Amino acid sequence: MKIKKILIANRGEIAIRIMKTARIMKISTVALRTAVEPNAMYLSFADEIYDNSEDVSEIPVFLDIDKLINITLKSGANAVHPGYGFLAENAYFAQKCIDNNIIFIGPSPDAIYKMGNKTIARKLALQAGIPMAMGSEGNIANEEEALAIASQIGYPVIIKAASGGGGRGMRIVRKTEEMEKMFSIASKEAEKAFNDPSVFIEKYIENPKHIEFQILGDTIGNIIHLGERECSIQRKHQKLLEEAPSSALDKRLRKEMGEMAVRIAKTVNYSSAGTVEFLLDSDKNFYFMEMNTRIQVEHPVTEIVTGIDLIEQQIRIANGEALELKQGDIKFKGWAIECRINAEDVQAGFAPDPGKIDKLSMPTDSYVRVDTGIQAGSSIVASYDSMIAKLIVSGKDRKEAITNCKMALDKVWIKGTKTTLPFFRMLVRHEKFQNGDFTTAFLEKDLDRYYFNSEYEEMLAAWLATSLFVKENLEEDSINVDFENGKEMSPWLLNKRINQF
Amino acid sequence: MNNKLHINKLYALSSENRKFSFSLPLKNKIRIGRRDYIVQLKADEKYGTYILWKNRKYPVEIIRSRQNKYEISFNDISYTFTVETPFSLQRMKVLSSKKGKTEQESVTAPMPGKIIDVLVREGADVLRGEPMVILEAMKMQNEIQSPVNGKVLKVHTKANTNVMKDDVLVEIMVT
Repeated sequence: MKIKKILIANRGEIAIRIMKTARIMKISTVALRTAVEPNAMYLSFADEIYDNSEDVSEIPVFLDIDKLINITLKSGANAVHPGYGFLAENAYFAQKCIDNNIIFIGPSPDAIYKMGNKTIARKLALQAGIPMAMGSEGNIANEEEALAIASQIGYPVIIKAASGGGGRGMRIVRKTEEMEKMFSIASKEAEKAFNDPSVFIEKYIENPKHIEFQILGDTIGNIIHLGERECSIQRKHQKLLEEAPSSALDKRLRKEMGEMAVRIAKTVNYSSAGTVEFLLDSDKNFYFMEMNTRIQVEHPVTEIVTGIDLIEQQIRIANGEALELKQGDIKFKGWAIECRINAEDVQAGFAPDPGKIDKLSMPTDSYVRVDTGIQAGSSIVASYDSMIAKLIVSGKDRKEAITNCKMALDKVWIKGTKTTLPFFRMLVRHEKFQNGDFTTAFLEKDLDRYYFNSEYEEMLAAWLATSLFVKENLEEDSINVDFENGKEMSPWLLNKRINQF
Repeated sequence: MNNKLHINKLYALSSENRKFSFSLPLKNKIRIGRRDYIVQLKADEKYGTYILWKNRKYPVEIIRSRQNKYEISFNDISYTFTVETPFSLQRMKVLSSKKGKTEQESVTAPMPGKIIDVLVREGADVLRGEPMVILEAMKMQNEIQSPVNGKVLKVHTKANTNVMKDDVLVEIMVT
């Protein structure tokens, strides 16, 4: 193996995920200690820690290309794994690694650049004969041009950031009057998120399913797909739940879409794990959306149904090995569902709720896999994403996976911040979800509430409020503490009160 | 409290106006149909504070308490209750019948973030669903829309200011 030591240019659960596989492969790892999370859980999985906690610059080290290259060279690592987010899809970073004789565990800078630029990616897909939604040929200069193209292809249209991804910089425009405002919002958001205000326009496919294909390609031109994932359960283009396979695909459609995904990947000689995203409309027409040139958050569901370790494949490919797997070797078994448990308040429009996680315990059943970088005592910091854990549940079929998921969700115990748990508890009980009858518009159109509580939960909460009132006001020996306005009551103080009951 | 001896019932009113009544002295039992189920408030090192009911643990937290108002997190969901005695409940009824219905709507920030743009001015007419403020949070721009048809009474924010969750952004007179 050429790769001896990997610098993990990432944090949280994905850093741990990569280090677990590296350990099995007997490759040592270096993790970065930062000032924001000096005691983070991922550090304990590394063979070596590079202490960067003295560095208090505003740009996180995970986004600082020169610093990362320096640290890698200093640490003696000869490879870098970028994980997802941060610099995972930065062609310049990949090139810098190569220039410094560091193996970048990911595709070539050329593939990253071409697929990262949505306008170029569209052109490539068009040339390769991949079905696509109608749209502008290149970037749109101003709202006049946007209006002209929109009237040509017909409303609704979607404005997308040329350098975008992950749902940012996307706006749907339903009528002429909305264009001016939406164009300006999308462009501003694109500039802010990707340092590039350029946007393009596409026909907006109403109520599609989000279906993506996992791709593996090596450096000598072999490319295969590992089947699909369905990620239609999203809020504002942010995925909440993913599953593999999709109940919307049969063998024939899987084969057809899989072949198209491989064809797209071939246009850039793709070499690593990657994902080709499609929209699937209600008539089962599919349209190429974009290719993500990184390992995805939702990769575990594919690992479960195929039995293939995607991180291992990434490392082997980066090491120059040929793919041992042929398309015919890929077999699918069972069903897997991933719930993204985030520190968000579902009762307040999924607003992020950063804070310290006081208690955390996760189910340990054989049908559950938990990928997390958080443990009791960890903090969800506002400067990073709000993920607490990925709860990945499997079953022999979709029905069993959902039943197992329902049980697993009730065994998750998190205290300290609000979480997306109540949302998933509702979702697994929803008839339309159970029947596979949902699209990317599910949250907006089919749900009137975003959480589940059983018939008696509110009553029990009312009992608790009443018993506190009794304690504070009515009992002879009541302390009669009048809390300062809005002051939080510590669990410690509460405990003292419980003991008086 | 002066009325201690006379109170035989308490009511917990939810923010959605559901009423739960409990007899005094308050028991740690809740009657469902013909059976009583014991409800216990407990705490330990592993789970923190929880309610044990029908052999299941539910995480609970008292988020806020202020006079007779309690915000409680129960199984990861927040509830707000005001606890009323029969007397205070009666007083509330009298007051609310005199006051008539409120005609003012306060639009608050649903999450902490930064105001990017304010799209309405004081005195402007707004329609339900009309965007009034652009709030950026976690790098996403969110439109804050008017919940009602009305006239803007007061704008409490301006572009480039940071706001906290629940800060009042705009007040609207319902028309």
